[in-house]
Amino acid sequence: MTISSNQNHKTPLYDAHVAQKAKMIPFGGWVMPVSYEGVLAEHKTVRDACGIFDVSHMGEVLVKGPDAAKFLQWLTINDINKLKTGGGQYSALLNDRGGMIDDLIIYRLGDNEFFICINASNRDKDFSWIKQKSAAYDVVVTNESDAWAQIAIQGPRSTDVLATLLTPADAAMMRTLPYTNIAPVTISGKPSLLARTGYTGEFGYEIYVPASVAQNAWMALLEQSSKFGVKPIGLGARDTLRLEACYLLYGNDMNDDVTPLEAGISWATKIDKGDFIGRAALISQKTSGLKRQMVAFKMLEDGIPRHGMKIFHGDTETGVVTSGSVLPTVGGAGGMALVSTTLKEGDDFFVDIRGAKKRAKIVKRPLYAARTK
Amino acid sequence: MEFPKNFKYTKDHEWIEAQGSTGTIGVTAYAVEQLGDIVHIDLPDAGKTYKAGDSFGTIESTKTVSDLYMPVAGKITAVNASLKGAPESLQGDTYKNGWLVKIEMTNPADAAKLLDASAYEAFIKE
Repeated sequence: MTISSNQNHKTPLYDAHVAQKAKMIPFGGWVMPVSYEGVLAEHKTVRDACGIFDVSHMGEVLVKGPDAAKFLQWLTINDINKLKTGGGQYSALLNDRGGMIDDLIIYRLGDNEFFICINASNRDKDFSWIKQKSAAYDVVVTNESDAWAQIAIQGPRSTDVLATLLTPADAAMMRTLPYTNIAPVTISGKPSLLARTGYTGEFGYEIYVPASVAQNAWMALLEQSSKFGVKPIGLGARDTLRLEACYLLYGNDMNDDVTPLEAGISWATKIDKGDFIGRAALISQKTSGLKRQMVAFKMLEDGIPRHGMKIFHGDTETGVVTSGSVLPTVGGAGGMALVSTTLKEGDDFFVDIRGAKKRAKIVKRPLYAARTK
Repeated sequence: MEFPKNFKYTKDHEWIEAQGSTGTIGVTAYAVEQLGDIVHIDLPDAGKTYKAGDSFGTIESTKTVSDLYMPVAGKITAVNASLKGAPESLQGDTYKNGWLVKIEMTNPADAAKLLDASAYEAFIKE
């Protein structure tokens, strides 16, 4: 866990978590459930059946206006012109040095309207950055973070579980909604959004509902537990699930000093699309050659790697663990690391686990092949 | 939650069962509940000597690593090998098969100075 704060906000589902006896912890300025019955059991629930996550701490920013597409093309790394109405894309905000301010998902709600989902701990930083950079464009930027609650429904039974919350027409639409796409739906009588996205490596959805109906929606989803095995899932399992799928976690795997090329998301970095903030730095980094790279690794010896542990090749320090854990579905322990580009897949290195050097091996990413499609 | 009456306890949530000069050491049910899923336990080799309060190993859950502290001074005489491949077996059985190490106490009278079950229980309720 990365950031704690004195100002611990509560999501609209706080009371429900406490009633369900969740273990609550501070996270990114929020009080969030870290687990209900236990991280390993919750992890398995999502892989095998369906889990629901309160991710209302995530932020939402709306960018609207005649220049919206043009503005976001300059503000973010991916190619906004590839995004049709109803589509979603993974992207990032960079500073002038090419370092990542945040990673995010941009959904196109209309020709001139975009809905952006950002990380909880970066809500204020992102909003002021976007707002500040928008000055020269004909757009309106709104921080909608407090208006929305977000619930993720993840796992092979997600469609069955979520269908119970939707009108028959919306449920039919959901079954054909392509991966990463978004659509307007009605939940508890309120205009809401339904996206075919997630952060677990499983098939699933994320719904954005007005804060006022969040509790209703949450309880209705949990009523399906006897039928579909759906259970509430905490941040602990969210972390092990995303780590197996090798999805990056801001603040752990990357920060303002890590570029998207180093972080292994060059697939979402469209350097040839035209100018954008941070592009010059990325071009220069590409020209001089990358010095470090994000890799996935598995431990070959006993011990659990953790964020910040040093990596050695022989006696030379050659990188750092950015995320590490037991890998409940994959087996053993492992994680992701930023290591020198002199290392390649199949190479061994040592992780310094509290003074003991334990052998590990670079493996193909991801650790767990996503079943999102 | 159960805390055997014949054991002694520390504020770091270890228990020790003293029999003559031999002490059997483990972690309390309360600690296990607080940790959540236990995924790794690192224990020393037999023969090592520690002072009271020394870290003799670590216990790791899915999210955190915690040090294990010696309740009293002593020399490790046995290590629970069954936990090595199955650290999760500690859960629900921390007082019997979940013991961590056995020690030869430097001063067998030391254990008597630790918290008794009711004092420990009062401590965790604070």
